[in-house]
Amino acid sequence: MGNSDAFAEVIREHQGLLYKVSAIYTNNEQDREDLFQEIVYQLWKYFDSFRNESKISTWMYRVAMNTAITHLKKSKRIPKSEPIKESLVSMAEGTDDLFQERVRLLHRQIEKMNSLEKGIMLLLLEGKSYQEIGEITGLNTSNVGTRISRIKEKLRKNMVKT
Amino acid sequence: MELEELQANWMAMSQELEKQKKLTNEIIIKMTRNNYRNKFSKLNNYENVGAIICYIVAGFILLNFWKLDTLYLKLSGVFTLAFLTILPTLVLLSLHRIKNLDILTKSYRENLITYTKEKKRLLKLQQIAIAVSFISLVFSPALALKLLRDKTLILSEMKPEQIIAMVFVIVLMVFVSRWGYRSYKKVTNSAEALLEDLEA
Repeated sequence: MGNSDAFAEVIREHQGLLYKVSAIYTNNEQDREDLFQEIVYQLWKYFDSFRNESKISTWMYRVAMNTAITHLKKSKRIPKSEPIKESLVSMAEGTDDLFQERVRLLHRQIEKMNSLEKGIMLLLLEGKSYQEIGEITGLNTSNVGTRISRIKEKLRKNMVKT
Repeated sequence: MELEELQANWMAMSQELEKQKKLTNEIIIKMTRNNYRNKFSKLNNYENVGAIICYIVAGFILLNFWKLDTLYLKLSGVFTLAFLTILPTLVLLSLHRIKNLDILTKSYRENLITYTKEKKRLLKLQQIAIAVSFISLVFSPALALKLLRDKTLILSEMKPEQIIAMVFVIVLMVFVSRWGYRSYKKVTNSAEALLEDLEA
């Protein structure tokens, strides 16, 4: 029971991280909810394996992003999870129109990226260092830098188009 | 949109999320239990259901194989059995590998490579399945007639409506196969592009 409490505490503390990973890899509310619940389940499954060798958030990003891989392009499938409405709110719920428009704009830009770029983008937006991004994604630091430059270039091009 | 602008929006969204923290211990435990239950409902994707149907039909052919009394029918039976067992098994193995990514110790890049490779393999298998099912149209009517009604198909004795129905099925299969092949090719190409990028 103590373990359950510790786990629940970690999830409550880092739920923002989980919402954001779920949001970046999905295109609709049902998928987001499925992915969120799947990530919580995977974290629960491996919670005892966490050895404090890295920051808990780094470990959570790794598990969450790896879990998201198998959820790629499943937007048309049948929902797997039972809805837990009281917990999974919309990212922009209860906010003003301008904020909601900004979130949509952000999502539209991320949607155009491939899975690797999405992962790097997420970590970059989260303010992670190149080293941490490398640690989570498995890329070396200079490769992370190159890819970030490419992402910036793509964003600039998209901006010119829109 | 510049990266800096995206970052500003992201930070604003993160702050909103911090304010919205709504999960309770009870909900979190409920989520893990829900998912645990879902792990046992394996019949939730088309590939699994498809494979089971294929195995049932293969079992039926195997049990009634003695009814196939000519070399043509026997060869048709062997071909159909191979088609109904090998392809679904390969599909299930591929799905198993996809579902069992090492999410704990492997990096995001490594898992993405494994996933994309398996996905590509799965798509290729489905493309092959489309082609083979098209070929099987040639002999499956004779095989089915023999196994289900113990009758031999003689083309010259077929009624016009039966011939029309066969032609209709073949034409339909041509369209479905072409559509399926093109859609799979599109997805396979994007998987290949991602793999090239990942392995660069």
